[in-house]
Amino acid sequence: MPRLSALDMPDVPKAQLPPHLEQQRTRVSCKSDAPLHTEGIQYSGAYASMGVDNSLRLDSFSKNFRVEVVRLTEDEIEFDMIGIDASLANAFRRILIAELPTMAIEKVLIANNTSVVQDEVLAQRLGLIPIEADPRLFEYVSENDTAHEKNTIVFKLDVRCKKDDGRIKAKSSELKWLPGGSELQMASTNSNPSTNPNAKPKTYTSFNCRQDSLPEFSHKPLRPKYGDITIAVLGAGQAIDLEVHAVKGVGRTHAKWSPVATAWYRMLPEVVLTQEVEDGKAEELVSKCPVNVFDIEDIGEGRKKAVVARPRACTLCRECIREKHWEECVDLRRVRDHFIFTIESTGALPPEVLFTEAVKILEQKCERIIAELS
Amino acid sequence: MYGGEEYDPADEDEEITQEDAWAVISAYFEEKGLVRQQLDSFDEFIQNTMQEIVDESADIEIRPESQHNPGRQSDFAETIYKISFGQIYLSKPMMTESDGETATLFPKAARLRNLTYSAPLYVDVTKRIIKKGHDCEEVTETQDFTKVFIGKVPIMLRSSYCTLYQNSEKDLTELGECPYDQGGYFIINGSEKVLIAQEKMSTNHVYVFKKRQPNKYAYVAEVRSMLENQNRPPSSMFVRMLSRASAKGGSSGQYIRATLPYIRTEIPIIIVFRALGFVADKDILEHICYDFSDTQMMELLRPSLEEAFVIQNQQVALDYIGKRGSTVGVTREKRIKYAKEILQKEMLPHVGVGDCETKKAYYFGYIIHRLLLCAIGRRPEDDRDHYGNKRLDLAGPLLGGLFRMLFRKLTRDVRAYVQKCVDNGKDQMPAGTRAGVSQVLNRLTYASTLSHLRRLNSPIGREGKLAKPRQLHNSHWGMMCPAETPEGQACGLVKNLALMVYITVGSAAHPILEFLEEWSTENFEEISPAVIPQATKIFVNGCWVGIHRNPDLLVRTLRLLRRRVDVNTEVGVIRDIRLKELRLYTDYGRCSRPLFIVEKKRLLIKKKDIQALQQRETQEEGWHDLVAKGFIEYVDTEEEETTMISMTISDLVNARLNPDDAYSETYTHCEIHPSLILGVCASIIPFPDHNQSPRNTYQSAMGKQAMGIYVTNYQLRMDTLAYVLYYPQKPLVTTRAMEHLHFRQLPAGINAIVAIACYSGYNQEDSVIMNQSSIDRGFFRSLFFRSYRDEEKKMGTLVKEDFGRPNRENTMGMRHGSYDKLDDDGLAPPGTRVSGEDVIIGKTTPIGQDETQLGQTSRYTRRDHSTSLRHSESGMVDQVLLTTNADGLRFVKVRMRSVRIPQIGDKFSSRHGQKGTVGMTYTQEDMPWTLEGITPDIIVNPHAIPSRMTIGQLIECIMGKVAAHMGKEGDATPFTDVTVDNISKALHRCGYQMRGFETMYNGHTGRRLSAMIFLGPTYYQRLKHMVDDKIHSRGRGPVQILTRQPAEGRSRDGGLRFGEMERDCMIAHGAAHFLKERLFDQSDAYRVHVCERCGLIAIANLKKNSFECRGCKNKTDIVQVHIPYACKLLFQELMSMAIAPRMLTKEVKPLKDQKKKGA
Repeated sequence: MPRLSALDMPDVPKAQLPPHLEQQRTRVSCKSDAPLHTEGIQYSGAYASMGVDNSLRLDSFSKNFRVEVVRLTEDEIEFDMIGIDASLANAFRRILIAELPTMAIEKVLIANNTSVVQDEVLAQRLGLIPIEADPRLFEYVSENDTAHEKNTIVFKLDVRCKKDDGRIKAKSSELKWLPGGSELQMASTNSNPSTNPNAKPKTYTSFNCRQDSLPEFSHKPLRPKYGDITIAVLGAGQAIDLEVHAVKGVGRTHAKWSPVATAWYRMLPEVVLTQEVEDGKAEELVSKCPVNVFDIEDIGEGRKKAVVARPRACTLCRECIREKHWEECVDLRRVRDHFIFTIESTGALPPEVLFTEAVKILEQKCERIIAELS
Repeated sequence: MYGGEEYDPADEDEEITQEDAWAVISAYFEEKGLVRQQLDSFDEFIQNTMQEIVDESADIEIRPESQHNPGRQSDFAETIYKISFGQIYLSKPMMTESDGETATLFPKAARLRNLTYSAPLYVDVTKRIIKKGHDCEEVTETQDFTKVFIGKVPIMLRSSYCTLYQNSEKDLTELGECPYDQGGYFIINGSEKVLIAQEKMSTNHVYVFKKRQPNKYAYVAEVRSMLENQNRPPSSMFVRMLSRASAKGGSSGQYIRATLPYIRTEIPIIIVFRALGFVADKDILEHICYDFSDTQMMELLRPSLEEAFVIQNQQVALDYIGKRGSTVGVTREKRIKYAKEILQKEMLPHVGVGDCETKKAYYFGYIIHRLLLCAIGRRPEDDRDHYGNKRLDLAGPLLGGLFRMLFRKLTRDVRAYVQKCVDNGKDQMPAGTRAGVSQVLNRLTYASTLSHLRRLNSPIGREGKLAKPRQLHNSHWGMMCPAETPEGQACGLVKNLALMVYITVGSAAHPILEFLEEWSTENFEEISPAVIPQATKIFVNGCWVGIHRNPDLLVRTLRLLRRRVDVNTEVGVIRDIRLKELRLYTDYGRCSRPLFIVEKKRLLIKKKDIQALQQRETQEEGWHDLVAKGFIEYVDTEEEETTMISMTISDLVNARLNPDDAYSETYTHCEIHPSLILGVCASIIPFPDHNQSPRNTYQSAMGKQAMGIYVTNYQLRMDTLAYVLYYPQKPLVTTRAMEHLHFRQLPAGINAIVAIACYSGYNQEDSVIMNQSSIDRGFFRSLFFRSYRDEEKKMGTLVKEDFGRPNRENTMGMRHGSYDKLDDDGLAPPGTRVSGEDVIIGKTTPIGQDETQLGQTSRYTRRDHSTSLRHSESGMVDQVLLTTNADGLRFVKVRMRSVRIPQIGDKFSSRHGQKGTVGMTYTQEDMPWTLEGITPDIIVNPHAIPSRMTIGQLIECIMGKVAAHMGKEGDATPFTDVTVDNISKALHRCGYQMRGFETMYNGHTGRRLSAMIFLGPTYYQRLKHMVDDKIHSRGRGPVQILTRQPAEGRSRDGGLRFGEMERDCMIAHGAAHFLKERLFDQSDAYRVHVCERCGLIAIANLKKNSFECRGCKNKTDIVQVHIPYACKLLFQELMSMAIAPRMLTKEVKPLKDQKKKGA
């Protein structure tokens, strides 16, 4: 028998993978027990023996890469990202959650707190309040930095429940912006007890100018994004008087700086009927799916067949292939390089801006690596 | 049979469902609460027992020892002083300040100021002086003293004498009390004390046991007889039948003998009968086996009759007994009298202590009868562990015993004092103490408090390795929680009450006796023994009162009257048909539980009654109304044996519809709900019926360590230790019982999103991965409070300690912590950040001049006695309380607060005994996510599931998922018809994979995980064990003075033991020199000087460079050696015991010589 290369086999088309391998390369298939081929094939020469080049090329990437926005609201965006590897898509996701800066309350100076909420708990709650301030307009506070108008936002909360008021709720809308910086006076400095009493009283910030005199903020006051967040419930006679300092930070340090509630993606589902599913079986299939992926189509003569109508809705509950023999009719797959990306913003920046910011950060990172390598 | 025929839709409509049973259960808890046993028991003590004890005490009668007074003739021949106690009065809890002002005391004040929540007790005292003239005429002078203060009684919270009794929720809140707190405990010196119920064997009950052969005896019958209201230890009586094997050539040898109290040897039973005055064999046999045709039994008595053949009259028999008593060398008359007294007063006192030989003989005969029945094999031996044979001593009886003892002591003291006054012309609480009965109430979690109040202890046999008393017994059903018991030493001995147990408080026996009299019960005077076999014997509280010929009717009327509450509902009615006995019990401490009454396979309670119950407006009608209407009755453990209880209402319906398949046709009762067999802690577990049973036990123990909110007024309390969760949540998956445990109002956990997955490997071996972002957002953050207390003690009359900032100039022994945090008053003000060993309470004592060294006036005038923070803790001063205590001394409590954020090493658990520590925290971007973008809060390892079989956790998870989606609570009550399939279907309808699996993406790589992940909300608990409280290391540090070994324990900065196994490792590594260096040279090396001649430690003066061994008069041959200090100490200790350990530094010649000679 003459020696024949596998590539020369008559059923192997040149420069093209056989369908089962092609499917393995581009799809994650889902069997009733577990998903199969979840890891992608990265190596450029993985299919070299078959004459297929598996390397990633910029031109083909820029040709094939697409972004399609599906839904865009004030604080949420859903878009399809097509033609990109999971590692890159994941990089965007991770940057969105952990590396995009926002402003969040970091310091709480409590002058008075007679409520039942302990100082620590109150401070933790305040920290989580999203603040509507563009972090790009601020600088990070470094360790030895003083608080000035470029890195700190100061709010004041002074709520009091009168003796006959019953119970009141302190809401986040009661956080009042102090564009002039802190109003609390520092106790006489410890290092030098004999300071001049005539000197300007020292506060916890040293603003050079009022923030509302700056053009960025003059027309748009800084405030918490949502005014209806309950900070504390006060009983009769209780009061809270405090000042908070919000600074710039990233989600990796603390979740309060994360600009997104969450950002995630999923692969595009692909549901394929490998066999014709007709009549009773079709109806059974339709009723099996809780999210109505399948639909029924008349094929004349009173016969019906099942079709895949809404594959995007598939949650992969695998109910359709759970029972015996159904796995032969229905094939559940995921498209490996098609991501349905969702970003839920907490409100500091609109979701679409968040994504472009994330891209910028990735760009900067790449530039840094390139700079360091060269 | 008739179920099918009588089928009537209208009638059927009236049948209640299992759901309706919960309305009944709610009514029960609404009326009774969860600590009813404690309150009932205490109320009974206050309202009845106390007065009874006072009444029971005899008058104090004093005759002056008339002193002969020459020359002075008394007007009267004799004067008698009589003092009697009458009515007692108890006021509300009061407190007398040191300035004499008295005011009512509230529990909050008692707790905060370390006072005792007690009420003064007053009693009416009557003094009578009876003067007898020489002419035999009597003159009586009576003087009444009303309301004489005799002492203080601690008051149980929320009992009828408590200031909080029947206060509304609003009033309670205003008084600074938690409205959910149920009371049932005492406040003694500011600490909350629970009296743990004590289990004991029931008295006045005949037990027959078979002895394990080989043994001298074959069978033993025992009675522990005790008169009610008496504080004497029970007098036991044993009747034993000898084994056949022990007979050597005797006729048959199976003699039956009895042990009598105070008699040294066993007495043949026939002799006892003869001593009681029953001489003829026939008379005796009549009392034992009633029926002469019963040859088997008669045969067994023959050897005994033969044995006593020589003693044929009462006097001889009494003398026989008397000779074996404790009196030696007295006359025959005295012996007979002594024997008679023993038979009357000491033997079986519960039958009677007067002239009641007939009754005693009958009872004695009955004991033998029971013994013989067992010997013949007609009845099995008794079960020692049957719960019907157990009684519980609750707070009331325990206090009753104490009060009786103290009151006796009081009367004794009064008598002695009065006697002294009369002859010539002078109250406290130390008594026999029992350890472990009163415990400090556990306040870690609300559930742990509740469970502590319902705890129960069996005092004996903790060391005994006998397993039987520890095992779960059939009769525990519905009375004791099958899951909740500690592990280890006390396993099965410490129990917890099931949710719906009622412990009887005891009622008087005389209404029952009167009733029996009325219903033609024949007593012993009226009957001849011959009729006994045909009739039924009637016992009341273990005492045989007579016989009745129509027991059927009697029992029916008794039960009827009990259901109509004409007879107390807690009376136990047990008809033992085989034994032909009717036993009635009215005593305290029996466990009983309510059951639906069933007649003709139908519940007596109907739908309309439930509707009426649900629509009722007042609190008046409720549970007790249901009992009074005869729908429900209390059945005690012993009576339960005579009932047929259907498990569910549907069982009953099925029995009616197809009787052929029914388990029974003769149901008498029906369970209210089977899930009520569980106790407090086990009722919090969802789906406990799907777990392996030890897991429920583990969770029952762990639930008590979970953090949450333990009382609503925790900010107003100064507990020494408290943990409070920032954001506790009520569980998504609940049980019905939780409603009554207020678990929703005072929860102890969070509904965490839990994934069961292997992810990165940081959750192996029972550790979990936790989401750091969730922690940042407040997940399982908690507060920790610790209170420190101090008071200005008085030292002598003049010197007093002082709070204040100690001054370095004049204060001795100052701590090394910082004193800067103290205010001028010597206390750290609230809001101060404190850490390490900072002083938070400054206190000094003046030093008397005599204390300082002679002559030299030291600069120190005060000594520091400040309190500093524990060295490993830090936080903020939360609250400072400065008051005075009962002695009017200044008293301070300082509460420190700190935040505990979950971190690696903290302990968490689900509600299924699945505990684990945090092995890693990952931020949100590193966590896996589902296609909805959900990241789990906790990832547990799948290996934790199969071997532990906690299926309940998996079901909880999917039910939690359904509940979260439907916005409802899931019902996970055990023994209902919720199935996994139902839940799965519901989940699938919500658009999820039906078994709770999700496809997830790896957070690190962004790729699909190649397995489906089981994910959903599961209720998790944070346990009080946290790394920050445990972390400990030490290089060098404090040592004990005596041994110079490192101190022990983290709190003392102690050492970590390098034990023998660690030592072995070093040796095995060949690092012996390292070992020596570390363990000796660098540790406790000590230089001593040894006399070379005698080998003992010599005197060395290194300054003068002189060495001496006084014993050997040796100043030259001294060597220096290094030995461990511990070794030196050992030598000195040995020397103190006159043992001379000699350190020989040279080879000793004589020894060698000897060896050579020997060889």
